[in-house]
Amino acid sequence: MPVNEAVNVSVTPPASDVMIQVENLSKNFGRVQALKNISFEVLRGEILGFLGPNGAGKTTTMRILTGYFPPTTGKVWIDEGDFHRDAKRIKHKIGYLPEHVPLYRDMQVEELLRFVADLRSVPRKNIKAEIEEKLKICGLTEVRSRIIGNLSKGFRQRVGLAQALIGDPKVLVLDEPTSGLDPRQIIEIRKLIRELARNRTVILSTHILSEVSMICDRVIILNGGKVVASGTTQELEDELSRHHEIFVSIGDHHRKMEAFELLKALPGVEYVKEGSEHEGQVDFTLSTFKDADLRPIISRLFVEHDIPLLEIRSGRLSLEEIYIKIVSQEPT
Amino acid sequence: MKNAWVLARKDSAAYFNSWTGIVMLTLFALVAGIFFLFPLVTYTKMSLQASPEAYAGLKGFSPSRFVFGSFFLNFGNVMICVVPFLSMRALAEERSLQTLELLFTYPLSDFDIVWGKFLGMIRFFFFLTLPTLSYLFLFHWIGAEMDWGVIAAGYLGFFLLGTSYLALGLFISSISANQMISAMITFTLLLGFWVLEWVSSVTDGAWAHFFSALSPFGHYRDFTLGILDRSDISYFVFFNLYFLFLTLRSIEVRNWKG
Repeated sequence: MPVNEAVNVSVTPPASDVMIQVENLSKNFGRVQALKNISFEVLRGEILGFLGPNGAGKTTTMRILTGYFPPTTGKVWIDEGDFHRDAKRIKHKIGYLPEHVPLYRDMQVEELLRFVADLRSVPRKNIKAEIEEKLKICGLTEVRSRIIGNLSKGFRQRVGLAQALIGDPKVLVLDEPTSGLDPRQIIEIRKLIRELARNRTVILSTHILSEVSMICDRVIILNGGKVVASGTTQELEDELSRHHEIFVSIGDHHRKMEAFELLKALPGVEYVKEGSEHEGQVDFTLSTFKDADLRPIISRLFVEHDIPLLEIRSGRLSLEEIYIKIVSQEPT
Repeated sequence: MKNAWVLARKDSAAYFNSWTGIVMLTLFALVAGIFFLFPLVTYTKMSLQASPEAYAGLKGFSPSRFVFGSFFLNFGNVMICVVPFLSMRALAEERSLQTLELLFTYPLSDFDIVWGKFLGMIRFFFFLTLPTLSYLFLFHWIGAEMDWGVIAAGYLGFFLLGTSYLALGLFISSISANQMISAMITFTLLLGFWVLEWVSSVTDGAWAHFFSALSPFGHYRDFTLGILDRSDISYFVFFNLYFLFLTLRSIEVRNWKG
């Protein structure tokens, strides 16, 4: 659903079921406005997907949420704490996997996790158990003493996830966690993310739309530094595919006009487009309002009028098409 | 602060785990040994040849100042070549590996990062210098008179000179993602500071005073002579703080440049 921008920045913490609240966030780099007043919230335990073309502001938003840099204006609340008032404490609650999975390539897997555990103030007596657990979750036990630089991309991704999990942060921020992986690795990482999300709040960005409907509970589509749509994938599909398309093909081009008039006269039809005509076959595309599925009516009608109906099918807009439709509109 | 130390430990361990670190430890010990041996041999020769009359002219002669003073003075120049290799990876490597992005999101402040990086280099620098303590035993063993004040002042000066050069190197390393470029710029700047000493010797009056005051080497010389001057110490403390401050500002650039 299209988002209404909130105008006021509240000073009170968000409700307790809200894990992340972002209010009127803007980020400027010199004259470039990378984020333009965006607001959204993420509930506890939710998996939120960020979608958007390159330069939409996904990484900038994630960097603000992880404390890489502060916003130019606006506020971020995480777990009822004001981020920029108490950054160091709140950073303990966030695990981050940046897009290119930056890791110290000359360190061993275990050595890196110990370093992160020290930085994240994991109590000394728990460090060993903590590392063991994360190695196990991420399937790294066998490569624990390997040098990171010698690992495959898939394993490095897992190391990246493992370091984000050290200290059990309540929030995981994953920037394109499956990019550059082969199909088998992608499936494994997705599975892992779903498991991790069971007791955590996860924000991830992706280019792959099917990933969003597979993993995420909710989607935010960013474009040009603005939130252009947000909702569950179902909501997005329902809301944005306002128009149902029906494709009709008849086998007698002499009756083209008659068929055209019949279709046009149907209730709920917005417009009828005449498509190609070849070997006596004529195609039409109808746009109807979404609640009315006119296919049974059309087929009955054509049978009554003895028009040879060759094909009739519904063209529901896929998430892909919705996405393209949204991001190709210039943000206002 | 605790986290700065965690970072420092990781960094200095990385030196020991890399060939650069091992080669540096070896070369440093070797070169230091040579630089120590020369004044030591000269001193032993002198002490063997000196007649009682000659000794009379050497009133106030301190073997410690002669041997350790020359060692520190000459070895200070070697730091111009050592520091760029030590400091080049500090932040440049983190930048090129993009691990800096992760560091910024760990529970660390910018100050922790700069301080941790600085401490990491100092820690390795400490291990580099450690073998030179054996010279004290050697010096004692040949029966020379130990002037602890001169030796301590020499070490303090050497430490201050080293950390100052490292602070400058850290700053240069923070503005570049390329380690080689970082090393070359650091070397050029350190050479520039060294040249200031020459410039001061060919100019006169106020200018000579100005260049000499600006040159780290002019201040360092006092330490090698066993002189502890407040202005020399202040100079090095300021030098360190100044470049640490610049480094801090340089990593803050991400806030407005992305």
